[in-house]
Amino acid sequence: MPRLLASALQLRRDPRILKLPPYVSLLCILVGVAWLFLLPLDQYSRRTYISENALLPGQVHTYFGGSDQNVFRAYKHEVNELAGKSNTDVNDKLEPIVKGLGLKTARQNFTYHAAGHTYSGENLYAILQAPRGDATEAIVLVAAWENVKHEINRNGIPLALTLLRYFKRWSLWSKDIILLITPDSIAGPQAWVDAYHDAHDPSRVSSLPLKSGLLQGAIAIDYTQETRFESVHIVYDGVNGQLPNLDLINSIVNIAGGQMGIGVALQEMWHHDNGYPDRLRTMLRGMLKQGLGLASGAHSSFIPYHVDAVTLRPFGDGWQDEMAMGRVVEGSFRSLNNLLEHLHQSFFFYLLMQRERFVSIGTYLPSAMLVAANFTIMAIALWVKTGQPAEGAAPKTKTETNTTTTTTTTTAERDLFLPLGVVALIQSLSIIPLYLFNHAPESTLTTLFIAFTALNTLLPQVLSHLLTTLPTTPTTPHQFNLIKSFSLLLLGMFLSTLATLNFSLALITGLLASPLSFLQPCQTRAGKVAATALLNAVSPTAVLLAGAAYWGTDVTSVLKEAAVAWQVCGTYSPVVVWCVWWPAWVAGGVVVLGGRPGTPRGVGNKEKMG
Amino acid sequence: MDAKVTPGRTAGLYAGAAVLRLAIFTLLPALPDLLTGRVEISTPVTSFKRLQEGLFLYNHNVSPYDGGVYHQAPLLLPLFSLLPSFTSLPIFTYLLYIAVDLLSAGALWRIADSGEAGSSALFTSPRREKRWSGFVVAAAFLLNPFTVATCIGRSTSVFTTCAILHAIAKAVSGAPFGAMVALSFASYLSMYPLLLLPPLVLLAYDRQRPERATKSALQFAAVSASTVAGVVGVLFQMSYLLTGSWEFLPSTYGVQLTLSDLTPNVGLWWYFFIEMFDSFRSFFLAVFWLHLSSYVGGLTVRIRRQPLVVLTLLLGIFAIFKPYPSISDMALFLALVPLHRHVFPLMRYTFVSAAVIMYATCLGPAFYHLWIYAGSGNANFFYAVTLVWNLGLSLLVCDLMFAVLRDEWEVERPEMAGKEIRQI
Repeated sequence: MPRLLASALQLRRDPRILKLPPYVSLLCILVGVAWLFLLPLDQYSRRTYISENALLPGQVHTYFGGSDQNVFRAYKHEVNELAGKSNTDVNDKLEPIVKGLGLKTARQNFTYHAAGHTYSGENLYAILQAPRGDATEAIVLVAAWENVKHEINRNGIPLALTLLRYFKRWSLWSKDIILLITPDSIAGPQAWVDAYHDAHDPSRVSSLPLKSGLLQGAIAIDYTQETRFESVHIVYDGVNGQLPNLDLINSIVNIAGGQMGIGVALQEMWHHDNGYPDRLRTMLRGMLKQGLGLASGAHSSFIPYHVDAVTLRPFGDGWQDEMAMGRVVEGSFRSLNNLLEHLHQSFFFYLLMQRERFVSIGTYLPSAMLVAANFTIMAIALWVKTGQPAEGAAPKTKTETNTTTTTTTTTAERDLFLPLGVVALIQSLSIIPLYLFNHAPESTLTTLFIAFTALNTLLPQVLSHLLTTLPTTPTTPHQFNLIKSFSLLLLGMFLSTLATLNFSLALITGLLASPLSFLQPCQTRAGKVAATALLNAVSPTAVLLAGAAYWGTDVTSVLKEAAVAWQVCGTYSPVVVWCVWWPAWVAGGVVVLGGRPGTPRGVGNKEKMG
Repeated sequence: MDAKVTPGRTAGLYAGAAVLRLAIFTLLPALPDLLTGRVEISTPVTSFKRLQEGLFLYNHNVSPYDGGVYHQAPLLLPLFSLLPSFTSLPIFTYLLYIAVDLLSAGALWRIADSGEAGSSALFTSPRREKRWSGFVVAAAFLLNPFTVATCIGRSTSVFTTCAILHAIAKAVSGAPFGAMVALSFASYLSMYPLLLLPPLVLLAYDRQRPERATKSALQFAAVSASTVAGVVGVLFQMSYLLTGSWEFLPSTYGVQLTLSDLTPNVGLWWYFFIEMFDSFRSFFLAVFWLHLSSYVGGLTVRIRRQPLVVLTLLLGIFAIFKPYPSISDMALFLALVPLHRHVFPLMRYTFVSAAVIMYATCLGPAFYHLWIYAGSGNANFFYAVTLVWNLGLSLLVCDLMFAVLRDEWEVERPEMAGKEIRQI
């Protein structure tokens, strides 16, 4: 053992060790990505199962149907009349209907301002008090007047009303049932949930006059399709990539698929053959949605409050009618009604790749952590490198006779002040794009983006120029390496923290920023041009443009969407882009451009560089 | 670093630090309350929210310790009730906290300028030329994010910090009586600073003014200890008169001794005592306290020649092993570390420990969020991060200790300077 230790210590001195980190780093990234592509295989993913015994999905007879069909038609007739009317008119009409069922109703106003627009409206909700409960717990049935694509929920609203009327007849509820009708799918539910938990800003969202107990679960109905449907699409992404408990999804899959014989789709994979490509596609779509962190339906706002929620959306051309959909909801509510405590048994961190196939956090987290680790490895390596004596004095006096005992431990003193200052400056500059893009009105977003892109391209040039010319003692290569080291350390740190909160965002950001690990200070002019081109190809702005082009929208609407999500739902993806990725990118640019021509080539180039 | 410090730069630093804090207080009005609620900043024995609860009871002529929420020293109450009400005029409370931070910085400045770190009465480091001026040390303290966060979170530990720094500053400037009085105040507020008495007595003894020096160390120690006992006694008596009972003793010091409030914090005790069977509780309490206090004797004897180092290391150790540590203890330790600038080149793991501490700083709130708010994590997540945090802190303490001992050793064995040491 001592010998092993001694040889390990000996190895530590080996200069070859210092050459290793970039390869280790690269390996980390490659393994991280490869890991991801292994996940859909049968050996790495698992079949879903119900953990919570109390749920008993699909164990009850559902009786929704029969004469309720006529009630549904009547409500639908009323709702069709209201299409195109204003929000208040709709609520004025719907409120008496709900009141007529013998329920307490209330309304809530909200007004959000984002990207120069005003999002305001009025929520209507009603509480069915549990015949067997004590108003300490509640389940929410959400029906938004419009879904996220701004289609009117023509069948969803009447179905929700019919269900409520039907639920009222049963005496078996042990939890209150709240029907929530919101004018839209994002701002309305958000305002209501915020106010329900007293976490709202009273200047924008009014308080709720009527409340029930702790919310145990929520199901949103998004049923715009007029024809008979084939399968149900479960939308489960919450704000900031938080997910509902897997038990909820499993129960609905079980009830819809097992009991009712209705297919279930996830992540807009309308046809899923359970093969590797489809699993991978489902998983990647899920990751992308999670990474963007936007609200994907009326359920999304519930999840940050630890209320497990999903949106159910019928699709396809089949023979299932509204009553079948109602029975799915009924079955799910009966399951939720059975719960003795909050859903906690199953997973909160998972990637679904088919309705009955998933991987849990323990299996997939290493891939994001490996990508984040690559930055930390490079940061440590650069730190060690800058501690070595300057390159001129590289050949050590190792010729002494007894090298074993007298190898010196010289560590050059590092000048930390300038690198720390530069990194802190860049990090604090990141407040500017974050503030601008989240507060500018939509009309100015395009010009702002163009101006910012131009400045962004110039910023590394300017900063590195200042660094080489301004200080009394020119910035040394060591200092540039320290800048890179600190910035990579911060990046690695933020990303590994983020990986625990929003795995996909961390992984995506990590992969997009991974070139920054390998960019070196360039000595030659050609190298600089190439590096600048590469750098600009992976800049946050370029990626935004490319992403917008790929999904067929323009940057303005992407930015607007981000600003709305930030203001309304508190999506923090813009913070990650502007305050984590962007500073690392600028620091990378400064380091690449800051490399001075090598000493043998003389100082002639120095003039041109500026 | 440039040692030239003009009065303008001094005023600039203090004004800058004050403006920074005031700006955060006024421009981000939600932040102080957010930070006050953070377990990393507010422990049961330093929380500002609990102080307000105590203050409310006190102002309504109810014993502040009724209700079992307030666990802080009784004399804080008249101080805060003298200020205009926090709810109507919070600015005075803000100014008080800012002033306390600036006073701490002033004390730190005096300690740095005394040069005690590089050359004490019994030991002169060959590296003492390399040091930071009081300006840099004070700036490092005032602009340290941990200090700022503590100040914004209005944790009452800032008063303890201030008292400890003043005790050291007085001891260094040859005023043993003042040092002992300051230490008594610190001990009265938080109890644990009493453990700093031995090294502080030695420091004061070493730095006595020659014209009125006490030759006998024993006599000096006895006088110092009785001063502390006397002052603490007077403070207790005042507290008794103020609250009308001795109830404050079990409610403040008893809570620290028996860890009856198990609110999570960045330390190592809470989780341990949550898990523990009640029958073993008293045994382990004794063991934990014994462990904490055992460092005092050992370090004081081993590094006898540099009492300031002992004080620094002890504060670092307390920040790890105290029953209710918070980031303010970390801030205090980090305030004293820059004094030992001359041994920095001998430290080996600065980057690793800094990185570990930064990682823990980021991951801590994230895991706490997962546990408490998102509900998708559990207590083990947060406890794991506090372990990492304390690992980083102990790396730093050990590294500093190594560097100081190595510095001493190289004076004893000049032929070994710069050579690698290995255990035989």
